[in-house]
Amino acid sequence: MLDRARIGLWIAAVVLAPLVPGCGPGRDPNADELKIGAYSVVREVLGHGLLPAFKAEWKSRTGRVLNFSESYIGSGAQARAIASGFDADVAILSHEGDMELLVKAGRVKPTWKDGPNGGMITHSLVVIGHRPGNPKGIKDWPDLARPGIGVLYPDPKSSGGARWNINAIYGAAYLALRPANQGGPDLGAVRDLLRKVQANVVNMDQSGRQSMANFVERGTGDTVVTYENELLLRNRESQPIPYVIPPATLLIEGPAAVVETAVESHGSRAVAEAFLEFVRSDQGQRIVAEYGFRPVKPDVAAPRGAQALPPKLFTMADLGGWAKLEQELYGPKGLWTSIFTAETSERASGR
Amino acid sequence: MATGTVKMSGGAPDLLLRGTSLFYLGLVIILPMAALVVEAARPGAAAFWEALRDPYAWHALKLTFITALVMVVVNALTGTATAWVLVRYDFPGRGLVNALIDLPFAVPTVVTGVMLVILFGPSSVVGTILGRYGWGVIYHQPGIVLALLFVTYPFVIRSVQPVLMEQDRAEEEAAATLGAGAWTTFRRVTLPGLWPSILTGAGLSFSRALGEFGSVVLVAGNQPLATKTAPLYIFGEIESGNRHGALVVSAVLLASSLLILVVLNGIQGRWGSEHGH
Repeated sequence: MLDRARIGLWIAAVVLAPLVPGCGPGRDPNADELKIGAYSVVREVLGHGLLPAFKAEWKSRTGRVLNFSESYIGSGAQARAIASGFDADVAILSHEGDMELLVKAGRVKPTWKDGPNGGMITHSLVVIGHRPGNPKGIKDWPDLARPGIGVLYPDPKSSGGARWNINAIYGAAYLALRPANQGGPDLGAVRDLLRKVQANVVNMDQSGRQSMANFVERGTGDTVVTYENELLLRNRESQPIPYVIPPATLLIEGPAAVVETAVESHGSRAVAEAFLEFVRSDQGQRIVAEYGFRPVKPDVAAPRGAQALPPKLFTMADLGGWAKLEQELYGPKGLWTSIFTAETSERASGR
Repeated sequence: MATGTVKMSGGAPDLLLRGTSLFYLGLVIILPMAALVVEAARPGAAAFWEALRDPYAWHALKLTFITALVMVVVNALTGTATAWVLVRYDFPGRGLVNALIDLPFAVPTVVTGVMLVILFGPSSVVGTILGRYGWGVIYHQPGIVLALLFVTYPFVIRSVQPVLMEQDRAEEEAAATLGAGAWTTFRRVTLPGLWPSILTGAGLSFSRALGEFGSVVLVAGNQPLATKTAPLYIFGEIESGNRHGALVVSAVLLASSLLILVVLNGIQGRWGSEHGH
């Protein structure tokens, strides 16, 4: 049995070791470190694809070992963590609205979008997953509004993915109605579509991954509105979920940026910038495509199993940008916010 | 009266112990609560009221209180009955049943949610049968009540059981010899002594239900103005950047729990002095 003095010595050694230069892990003079703060959906493409590939690349380029520490949570939560001091060197988030939070907090340069591809590292599409054989004949967004169709998407209050989904349904209807009406489209019809789809939503999960699990593992609902890359990734893991790309849908653009305050204090600017450069290179984009994303470089091939692009692909810029849509859809007087009150007043008057 | 309290000698070790435990209470419990209340009240009473009157916040609070109330009524009845069975009847396996009562406290609440979805979810056997009659459980309000019933199951039982065990059977026997039936004896002789413990158990489970998140988040459906309870509302508003709205609803939940505890203390104190316990 160890006597007390020896146990005390051991504890002291373990506690004090990291304080002694050259003794703790991670302060190896021959190794570099990169801390990644990302949203949950890119866990596979980073952890299994991009990070190991860049580690090898860095080793052959500089002869130095590169170690990563990775954090994956919901995009909004990750953005808030970095804004309030989590010292990730590189931020990889679900949408530019969350990246703008970091700009406001002084963590990311306001010019982050000036880089190649507007600061984006991944593309994808908002699509509709359905049951094998498409028994309910789902082809387009209005099909989700039909009576008796069970729809799944997560809660836009907590999920960036859900905002992409609802923005796509909104945008398709908004852009379709715009030419007919010179003074701006009839928002009543757009709202009606959103309201009917929402009425078919079985359950709003906290994240897109949860909705997907609910759809696949528990057999809930007839359709799931989701990122195309999530479905293609599943297909890669041999659990194919058939899907349709609606004729008009939204291009999902995933941003990444260097966190200025972190790279300054860690002295890791060179490796952080080299990493993002690697992700944006042909080699990096081929890995991105392997994991189901559409590459941001047009000359890199689309992911295996991906269907042809729809005739009317639109972007957030076509709808007026994130900041504008956040207010107009999800703000206190927003269109999406209003569909619930409209529904209840209708129910009340219907009685 | 001062049973269980030691007369303080006032020596240095005593002072140190008292000081340390009170400081710890302040640091770990009081300080975070105070921070919440201060932060929620910072923008002023008008803003507080405005955030509370938000139809989504208001509905979430209403739903939370109503589902908790339904749960409490069921729990008070079944909990008292269960405690009665455990104390007054001897049956094989009683020790095991008694040990199982506390299980809901040990099960992570998220696991509770998963179990309920597996059993009652829309694609489960039970859920499919119920769905044929137009009854939704999971992702509807009954699912919330089910989850609350599960997580608060032990409170009333564990509060009533010891009182029943200590109760003097002589009064019941006297009532029986005087010709009272079993039900009359229970209602007029046994029950009056049980009320404080039933109310305590009910109050604790109500308090607990107001804040239940882990199980409810999986079974509620999370639809605004339908199945989004106050804790889910708080989470959603924090996640989407409306910190103040979340804090105001949090403060209301906190105040309600505090009020319940104060009232319970009052009831027990009064009952204790009236009944000479």
